[in-house]
Amino acid sequence: MLFASSLFLASCSSDDNSSNESLGDYDNGVFVLNEGNSTITTSSVTFISNSGAVEQDVFRNVNPEAAEMGTLLQSMFFDDTRAFIISGLANKITVVDRYTFKFIATISTDFRSPRYGVVVNGKAYVTNYDNYEVGSDDFLTVIDLSNYTTSRVAMNNWSEKIIEENGKIYIMNGYFGSGTSVTVFNPATNSIETTIPLGFSPNAFEEENGTLYVLGSEKLAKINLSTNTVVGTPITVAAATSAGARNLNIEDNKIYYTVDTAVFAMAANATAAPTVPLLTYESQSIYGRMYGFAVNDGKIYIADGGDFSSDSQIYIYSTTGTLLNPVAVGVGPNGFYFN
Amino acid sequence: MTFKKLYLFLLFSICQSALAQHDSIHHLAVVEISDLQLKNYSDSQSVLKISDSIINKNQASLTSLLNYNTIIYFKENGLGMVSSPSFRGTTAQQTAVVWNGININSQLNGQTDFNTITTRDFNSISVRAGGGSSIYGSSAIGGSIHLNNTVKFEDHFSNSLRLNYGSFNTFGGNYKLDASDGKFSAQVSISRNSSDNDYDYVDSDDKNLNGQYYNTSMNAAIGYKINDNNFLKLYSYVFDGERHFSLIFPSEIKTKYQDLNTRNLLEWDSFFGRFVSKVKVGALSEKYKYFDNIDSESYTFGEVKTYIGKYDLAFQATDAIQLNAILDYTQNKGKGSDIKNEQRNIGSASLLLKHNLTKKLLYEASLRKEFTNNYKSPLLFSLGTSWKAADFYTLKLNGSKNFRVPTFNDLYWQPGGNENLKPESSYQAELGNEFRFNAFKITLTGYYIDIKDMLRWIPNGSNWSPQNTNKVRTYGGEAIVSWSKNFGNHHVMLNGTYGYTVSEDMEKKKQLIYVPYHKATSSLSYSWKKLSADYQLLYNGEVFTRSDNNSRYNIDAYLVSNASLNYGFGKKNSCILGFQVLNLLDEKYASVESRYLPGRNFNMYLTLNF
Repeated sequence: MLFASSLFLASCSSDDNSSNESLGDYDNGVFVLNEGNSTITTSSVTFISNSGAVEQDVFRNVNPEAAEMGTLLQSMFFDDTRAFIISGLANKITVVDRYTFKFIATISTDFRSPRYGVVVNGKAYVTNYDNYEVGSDDFLTVIDLSNYTTSRVAMNNWSEKIIEENGKIYIMNGYFGSGTSVTVFNPATNSIETTIPLGFSPNAFEEENGTLYVLGSEKLAKINLSTNTVVGTPITVAAATSAGARNLNIEDNKIYYTVDTAVFAMAANATAAPTVPLLTYESQSIYGRMYGFAVNDGKIYIADGGDFSSDSQIYIYSTTGTLLNPVAVGVGPNGFYFN
Repeated sequence: MTFKKLYLFLLFSICQSALAQHDSIHHLAVVEISDLQLKNYSDSQSVLKISDSIINKNQASLTSLLNYNTIIYFKENGLGMVSSPSFRGTTAQQTAVVWNGININSQLNGQTDFNTITTRDFNSISVRAGGGSSIYGSSAIGGSIHLNNTVKFEDHFSNSLRLNYGSFNTFGGNYKLDASDGKFSAQVSISRNSSDNDYDYVDSDDKNLNGQYYNTSMNAAIGYKINDNNFLKLYSYVFDGERHFSLIFPSEIKTKYQDLNTRNLLEWDSFFGRFVSKVKVGALSEKYKYFDNIDSESYTFGEVKTYIGKYDLAFQATDAIQLNAILDYTQNKGKGSDIKNEQRNIGSASLLLKHNLTKKLLYEASLRKEFTNNYKSPLLFSLGTSWKAADFYTLKLNGSKNFRVPTFNDLYWQPGGNENLKPESSYQAELGNEFRFNAFKITLTGYYIDIKDMLRWIPNGSNWSPQNTNKVRTYGGEAIVSWSKNFGNHHVMLNGTYGYTVSEDMEKKKQLIYVPYHKATSSLSYSWKKLSADYQLLYNGEVFTRSDNNSRYNIDAYLVSNASLNYGFGKKNSCILGFQVLNLLDEKYASVESRYLPGRNFNMYLTLNF
């Protein structure tokens, strides 16, 4: 793998003009976002095509002259044609074509430690934590994607992950144990519609069939989006003494989540959590166990953060728990984005 | 007969007074510096003393002085920003900084930021390589840096003012008063340094943004001679500085950092018979404020107040045997936005011995034990020998056990601090060879350090917590060369250092990141009558930035040089005017990835002695 990437680099540097052709298309595959550490060269994007071909450092390969994406790459989000890469430390978003990864623009206004983003009707909405110790200063950056101008909307609550469903925006009000609700935001009026209390601090959420599943370190709650209320009593998914549940994913009517290095799966309508994990992977990492996680098309993707100071690995499993293959990626992989 | 008697009497009394004189001179030499162990118990190790004339030729930060004159490697997050050393391949917490005999490493993070020390406030700065915990306590593993002020009682009076101004609106000012009437002695130094620090990166359109800094410091050493056998001394140091932290990307949130450190030490030296007793009481404080957004008033902070009581009794048992017992009681009180308010009390006892077996052969030994509830404290020791095998050759051998104690952050960080930590500890040995041929001197030293229980923060449930996990082995060799010669009115001096360092993580079997295999420095001084010229070179080998030693991401080696020219006016050079070109070759370089240091830049200085 390393050999392949160095071969690629050699060919790239020997003849920059031909680099477009040799890169091909970033359709039909998955981007792995490598968060890196506080230094520039550790942040990168890896692409794994559906055929299994791997390309490291996609952004720099395609755009050797473009400004760097920044450090501590937090997350990516997309619209139909573009990918948006958020750098938490550089406080900016790099916009690229989602299929060619050609650099389009840098957006660097109205951010204070941006976290996650979503696109609704030609506008991007990006959460910012600002002072990480305070929730009341968190805000949304609203980006007009026709000209990349920005504005802010105060959230007055811990604002982390953000998704869109049926024209409404849902913002997870949870940040490393602080904040215990979900905010419903109406992009049409650019204002907060309501806040749904959870009774625990959320760390992941996903919508499926009109229900918003919200995961905390011990609990899983289901919110009925037609009434904006929690349905029944949240299920206990992990003990208080455990490393805590994280990484919620819903695929094919199954709920997946992780505790330390274990992956658990249960039916979407289950009323009790499983006690036996679907799989457990080996990790040498002390900071970055299960640093990124996704389930897609019958496969489970696990990113191991490694030591954040050298290239790390991701592991692809079948949904029955068989290891298909490990893939070497960049420093501190934290997320999978299917294209 | 009468005459003869008188003659005898006179002769006798002259002898008497000569003896008394001798005693008094001895006392004054002992009183002169507080850190007597540096002089008396460092024979089996290599000590490099940097005099005030060298200090004056260098930039004002301790980083710059040591970077250009010693084997110590520095990581600097941009000029003037946070600077941490690696001495013999060890971590920043494994180098002790000792101010007039008192260890001043931060109680919060265990290290000294070498850009928060202004060198001009001191008479001499010594670099003592190798283990020193049995004398200086925590952190003296790679070595220790000694900031000393001398208190002199001979009648003298001098004032000096040094001003410099240069590129990026960089200003430096230092005023020094040094006076004594035989009874009182005072040495006061006041310094101010500031810079816009907005330098352009070499070969780039980018520049250093948000890197401005200023600092003000005052250092005083006051002495009072009660009588021939009793002296009082007061050392006092205040450092107040603010730095904005420079950015890599212009869109980053701007931050700034403030330091306020005070150090006070009162000492009573008394002499009786073969004993020298030093009673010391000290009060130190350190405080930082970090503004993670300079547009906001909010900040995080940490503060530790330290009180020290110390009794140091030296005993000249015979002409050949010296003993030294030191009892120390230290109390630290810490508080901060992220640490639990805690107080810790540490008592320690040390015993030091030096025995000159012959005029050419000596050995020295020391033992130290700390008593505290805050961590498990091992017995520390050092054993060394120095043998002058020939007129031109001295062999030195030293072995020791040293430690670095857990800091307030390690113990009391909220959440995650672990109150059940052991100190990091090391066994180490070194072999030194010193050759002297007239004005040429070369020291060759090989060393080996085995460090265990290195502290590392790892996740523990939802929090991170420090644990004693890592093992590191570091070994290497170093050479220090000096030579000087006069040819009529011409005077030439050459100094050089070279260090080869292997520092291996024992788990990964890889070189630690940010430890260069090679580092070298060199300086050449030439003077002719009142004109003098200096040239300095710094070579830093490439360093790994990846723990798997993937060399694709190495920081390149760099070679940086400075040149200066100065001329003294007046009979006694009462006025010196100088001009410096820093980074003469306009090298593009960084010691930390993406943190570029300035290209060629200029500096003028004026020193007035009056």
